Amino acid sequence: MKSTIEYIERVSNGSVDIKKETEEVLSNLDSLNDKYHYLGAISTGLARELSNNVSIKPKGRLAGVYVSVKDCIAVKGVETRSSSRILSGYKPVFNATVINKIISEGAIIIGKTTQDEFGFGSFSTNTGIGIKQPVNPFDIQRAAGGSSGGSAGMAQVADFPHISLGESTGGSIASPASFCGVVGLTPTYGLVSRYGLLDYANSMDKIGPIGKTVEDCALMLSIIAGHDEKDSTSYNPANSKEKSDDGSKNIDYTKNIDRPISGMKIGIVKESLGEGVDESIKNKVNECASDLKAQGAIIEEISLAVPSEYALPSYYIIAVCEASTNLAKYCGMRYGKHESLKGNFNEYFTKVRSKHFGQEAKRRIILGTFARMAGFRDAYYLKALKVRTVIINEYKKAFKNVDALLTPTMPVLPPRFDEIKNLSVLQNYMMDVLTVGPNLAGLPHINIPYGMIDGLPVGVMLSGDHFCEEKLLNVAFNIEKNAP
Amino acid sequence: MFESEIVIGLEVHAELDTNTKLFCSCPREGNDKRNSRVCPICLGHPGSKPVMNKKVLDYGLRFGLAIGCNIAKSLVFSRKSYFYPDMAKNYQITQFEIPLCSNGIIKLSSGKKIKINRAHIEEDPAALTHPAGINDSAYVLVDYNRSGNPLIEIVTEPDMTSPNEARDFMKELIKILNYLEIFDTDSCIIKADANISIRESGYKRVEVKNITGFKEIERALMYEVERQKQAVSEGAEILMETRSWDAAKGITCSLRLKESEEDYGYITDPDLVPIDVSDELIETIKKNMPELHHAKLDKYKKNISEEDAKVISSNHKLAAIYDEVCEEIDPVFAGRWIRRELMRVMNYNKIEFEDLKIKPSHLIDLFKLIIEGSITDSVGQKIMEKLVEEPFDVNEYVNSNSLKTISDNSELKKICKQVINENPQAAEELKAGNTKSLNFMVGQVMRITKGKADAKKLVEIFKSIF
Repeated sequence: MKSTIEYIERVSNGSVDIKKETEEVLSNLDSLNDKYHYLGAISTGLARELSNNVSIKPKGRLAGVYVSVKDCIAVKGVETRSSSRILSGYKPVFNATVINKIISEGAIIIGKTTQDEFGFGSFSTNTGIGIKQPVNPFDIQRAAGGSSGGSAGMAQVADFPHISLGESTGGSIASPASFCGVVGLTPTYGLVSRYGLLDYANSMDKIGPIGKTVEDCALMLSIIAGHDEKDSTSYNPANSKEKSDDGSKNIDYTKNIDRPISGMKIGIVKESLGEGVDESIKNKVNECASDLKAQGAIIEEISLAVPSEYALPSYYIIAVCEASTNLAKYCGMRYGKHESLKGNFNEYFTKVRSKHFGQEAKRRIILGTFARMAGFRDAYYLKALKVRTVIINEYKKAFKNVDALLTPTMPVLPPRFDEIKNLSVLQNYMMDVLTVGPNLAGLPHINIPYGMIDGLPVGVMLSGDHFCEEKLLNVAFNIEKNAP
Repeated sequence: MFESEIVIGLEVHAELDTNTKLFCSCPREGNDKRNSRVCPICLGHPGSKPVMNKKVLDYGLRFGLAIGCNIAKSLVFSRKSYFYPDMAKNYQITQFEIPLCSNGIIKLSSGKKIKINRAHIEEDPAALTHPAGINDSAYVLVDYNRSGNPLIEIVTEPDMTSPNEARDFMKELIKILNYLEIFDTDSCIIKADANISIRESGYKRVEVKNITGFKEIERALMYEVERQKQAVSEGAEILMETRSWDAAKGITCSLRLKESEEDYGYITDPDLVPIDVSDELIETIKKNMPELHHAKLDKYKKNISEEDAKVISSNHKLAAIYDEVCEEIDPVFAGRWIRRELMRVMNYNKIEFEDLKIKPSHLIDLFKLIIEGSITDSVGQKIMEKLVEEPFDVNEYVNSNSLKTISDNSELKKICKQVINENPQAAEELKAGNTKSLNFMVGQVMRITKGKADAKKLVEIFKSIF
């Protein structure tokens, strides 16, 4: 298949009948969805409108590219429910900033991808009540990973130029990208605006691209990155004490992607190749390290003891504390699922929330509310915040010596649904052990597919220092080009 | 524990006079059509995010610095979680651990100092309408126009010992807010929650919520003191509870018992980054700080009576008019005329300072004419009455209506003689030395001249005739 950038060129010079092609893409989505359940909503009307716009004015850096959007990102007029039944029927009255950006660059939005309800999961098995779970594109008995499972699966099976917008809080881009055999990039916290993102844990939520290639992800990042005054946590280079390379707002992340990496220092995180990680996956990481070495990179083993041990518990405490406040607004009063008005307000919202939140959402609301209560707040929430600072500092120290960190993405191959059912809650949470560190620290990281084991894809993960996406994509591109 | 019979502490919420809401660009006031001033942010729609209105920080600092507070190094917001139908997000964005301002003092008119524990910034919830009253409605209606309006919450120590003192505190507070130009009496809501306890109950604390304005606070607290005293005398126990003030009925009624402190599960709001309160910002605010009423009073007292000074300094708009007039007019003269004449006409016509259309320049023109003797006091008073109704060019008005004082003595003498001829009996009495008759005769001349004669001069003329 030709690259997406070549396709965009063909659209731009008018040699693609985009309206006809869009009809073709749309006509296949239903049957695709019947098999894989990647789309919670198909936005036929919006896709036609956008393709019509592109046919009139075939311009833009994403001209004619089909984009699927994780269900937690608001698309005006298209049902947006974070795969939760409590938001059934909710059609936002505004677009997320990233949606406005991709539309203005000629993207054609085809639908909303399924996920763990509000992002609460690592396999996309925690979809809301009545919403089908996305399945692994290589084996439909197995999980697609999560929580951006629909996005990663869609990126794998799309036989048309397609990039998905995913979202990661604790590993929700890397995990499904690894299980589905695609590239998933989680940018630095604050690089991409969160305006219009339905919150899971606001201090860690990051929107990022999932696509077939590193270049596709770099292209998408070039468009969605940048300061947004509607998001107070959005990074503004103008306010930064550190000087940015060229001071320009818009970096083209595809530009220097293929530069050679000889001389770069790559750290292999010792703890990530320890107990609990499949041997076959460790072998792939070592294979990847050898290739990088062959390309002239310097490989160094480093230890990240504190993140390896404490990232997971502090991540979960912060995440559930924030999530439990974010989910309070869903009470059946202004949007989403309503019930007949009986009883007082407390009885009413209790009924709505009891009936329409899934089990994992309820679990995280209860955990988060508990960890915020007076008496526990200091021991859990405030302590977790302090641990996060320690972890960030340890990563910062590491990045003084190395350019990027190499680890496996997931400790296991995509498990079967019946295996997942037998996992305890803690074993479930342990699936994030390799991805939570960079997520908690707000570091950019990327999953790169690295061959197959037993017919299932394996991914390696590269993490970089804050706002060093260019370097990260550069190394990732060089891994991808030699990947088995 | 306490020394006084009654112990009162207040939590006052004052709306800040900004153009837009605290976290979105919806107008703070204006269109009163229900749910018309709203957007995804103040409605708490999924995915919307708050962005801080920087003006609110300036206003908060102005208040904190004016009452001598310690100022926090940065402005940090927290989420206060509780479920209530007036809450768009079921949490309120407020401040918790580190309030913007802490440890200030507000001085009452009696000189007593009330300690301010803290003052912080927060968003107002929506407004609830109970169609059949708070206790009897089957449903409530929600109006989000108010949702997200900026509030400053001011928390006092329990330093007040009577409902009257609480009223005085509210009055002083409103004065300060007005003088700082961060509060507009017309468009901004001010509400107080009062904690009140009495010796007889062993100081069991009762909270009375939602008292609007300084007159109401005295009423509500007087009622509550009496209620508690009566309950104790009847052998009932005072419960730790929250009560609401029903202004229409003039009573408080129980909302809920306070068995334990409510747990709001505060976390730092992760959608908002801490905002630096730099020394430079504080210096700028200090430099542009308006003079407060205490300072004005001290200044005025040097020239005019304390009584007049108090009246003029009690309203920031009146004080501003006075200050400007004094740049050109003798402060004693201006003080007397503003305090006596302007206020007399305003009271008579029931005009509030907020509606006053008269400009300092009008008063300056008028006062100049009176001082130089071009018009008499009595003409001046009449012009003042007209000016307050609808301002006009004073000099032009005086000329076109020939209101200048009659300075020609022979002209005045002629009119005096005419009055004597027309009132022979009064003239006889005057001759006999009756002062009442003298006043009557002067009045008659004034009537004929439409007040344009100098009364003193007339007295001299009448005396010379007889």
